[in-house]
Amino acid sequence: MATTAQPSVETIRTRLARVDDPELDESIVDLDYIESLTINESEVTVTLVLPTAWCSPAFAWMMATGARDELESLPRVTTATIRLEDHMHQEEINRGVNERLEFEEVFEDADDDIEAVRRTLAEKVRMSRQYRAIGALREAGLEDDQVVELTRDAIDLGDEDEAGADSDTVVVYLADGAFGVSVPAEPIIEYLQKATEVDIVTQPTDRVFATAEADPIAPEELDRIQHRARLTGATVTGQGTICEGLNRARNL
Amino acid sequence: MYRHDGEDVFVIDAHVHDWDASEENIIHEGGEQFIQCFHDYHTAFTPEERQWDMDEYRKYSDERMVRDLFRDGHADMAIFQPTALSEFYEHGFNTVEDNATLTDEYPGRFVLNGRFDSREGEDGLEELERQKEVHDITGVKLYTAEWRGDSKGWRLDSKDSFEYLEKCSELGITNIHAHKGPTIRPLNRDAFDVRDIDDAATSFPELNFIVEHVGFPRFDDFAHIGAEETNVYGGISVVAPMAHARPRKFGEIMGELLFWVGEDNLLFGSDYALWEPEWVVEAVMEAELTSEQRDEFGVELTHDVKKKIIGENAAELYDIDIEERKQELADDEITAEFDLEDQYSGATAD
Repeated sequence: MATTAQPSVETIRTRLARVDDPELDESIVDLDYIESLTINESEVTVTLVLPTAWCSPAFAWMMATGARDELESLPRVTTATIRLEDHMHQEEINRGVNERLEFEEVFEDADDDIEAVRRTLAEKVRMSRQYRAIGALREAGLEDDQVVELTRDAIDLGDEDEAGADSDTVVVYLADGAFGVSVPAEPIIEYLQKATEVDIVTQPTDRVFATAEADPIAPEELDRIQHRARLTGATVTGQGTICEGLNRARNL
Repeated sequence: MYRHDGEDVFVIDAHVHDWDASEENIIHEGGEQFIQCFHDYHTAFTPEERQWDMDEYRKYSDERMVRDLFRDGHADMAIFQPTALSEFYEHGFNTVEDNATLTDEYPGRFVLNGRFDSREGEDGLEELERQKEVHDITGVKLYTAEWRGDSKGWRLDSKDSFEYLEKCSELGITNIHAHKGPTIRPLNRDAFDVRDIDDAATSFPELNFIVEHVGFPRFDDFAHIGAEETNVYGGISVVAPMAHARPRKFGEIMGELLFWVGEDNLLFGSDYALWEPEWVVEAVMEAELTSEQRDEFGVELTHDVKKKIIGENAAELYDIDIEERKQELADDEITAEFDLEDQYSGATAD
């Protein structure tokens, strides 16, 4: 195999930015969890430090395996080694992640399987993003029944290959496509991403929004659902504020 | 007292500690991690010029505590919330008996709470009786994430716990403060869980359940329980210092708390010495919701609401008559020592 240049720090960081803190819905790069990076030809070592030594091992595990798997999907990376530091379970996690064990093999006492934890957190993130997306649609003048009945094929994100993909707005078609309403793109796109990931929206005719239990929403329920989703968002960002403060304190 | 809107507001700091994390007292690495983590919380939200260094933070004098609370901290009274952590600290971290030194010295100023741990069986029940007999406690602080042997925690809705809650009810220990915040019990799925409060609160309607740190990171679970159960309260320590460091975020969380849990069910606490009440009380009392937050939540953080949170709600739970107490405090030792006569002069006039 022809030796190509080793991957750049920039490439590594960009790829790591795809890994989110599952509780905070923000990338581990933006959250400053990456303590250091070593690139030795096709081998990469990442040192991770989380805001508290007691951060749930399930969450730490998700970030560590996420970082490993994202990096190893790069063509120029053969092995990614993860070093979690300053964590009360760093030994178990580092061994498990680097020896490619399952979470349940490493933490035999854990009550939850990691997929269940991941699913619960992803659902919380979906709800907090749904709150913002619905807020944007109501702000743009949609009635509650139009919001709850909206299907995926009624949202035009623009042609993603064209320059217009960077547009700040998306178009939402109402009354069977009779007319379109322009809505800020960011909350809609972020929401759809997560809704697709958790299988709420998979088909063009799927309703876009759903309750936390994945049921369709009745228009008269929408206020209550929004209150709950707002609270979920406050929980995510409130915890984010605490973690961000702790992370800053730990790095002083 | 804190002067706000032309009125002297009675302040009860409902969450304080007198701890010892000196190196001599630490017998397990968890003890060192614990105090280091506390110090991280401290520096995360404390204004730079008010931060303590680690040595001071490990162990502070009774004199300093009394000054920080009553001379500088605007507090009229404070409630001790003990934390044993006896697997980490040789003589415990912040024990009932340590706290009792100060409450015995300044009985009008402090409320002493006890503790229990439902894994302690008959001995624990007897210990609870002893705490009632010796200290006449009316509340307990529970630390469900505490280690004990192989166990990394316990739940309030367990059969054992119900036995203790029954005992509390029988003894007239009505205020059950449960720490529901960051834990050291990370493996169990209950690690961050506040949901055990739900069943306990429904089963013991005669008791009040104060969820300290409003359940973070499970704030949403707490808010739903608080909305349903009238005997569930939120202790806002950890949230309170955000009023200074992150005022907008503080407003948002208060908006949610007022919306779900309500103004009668929220208690102020500095969590001393996590944070000092002086700047925390000031920040909370001066905090305002933005106009968007008022529209969004349909609630107001008025002077009267803040008065409830900063003192009246705790007074209600602990059966403290604020006007009577002011008269009593007007000529106590602390008032004399720190020249606080002026703030209680209204109380002695009649």
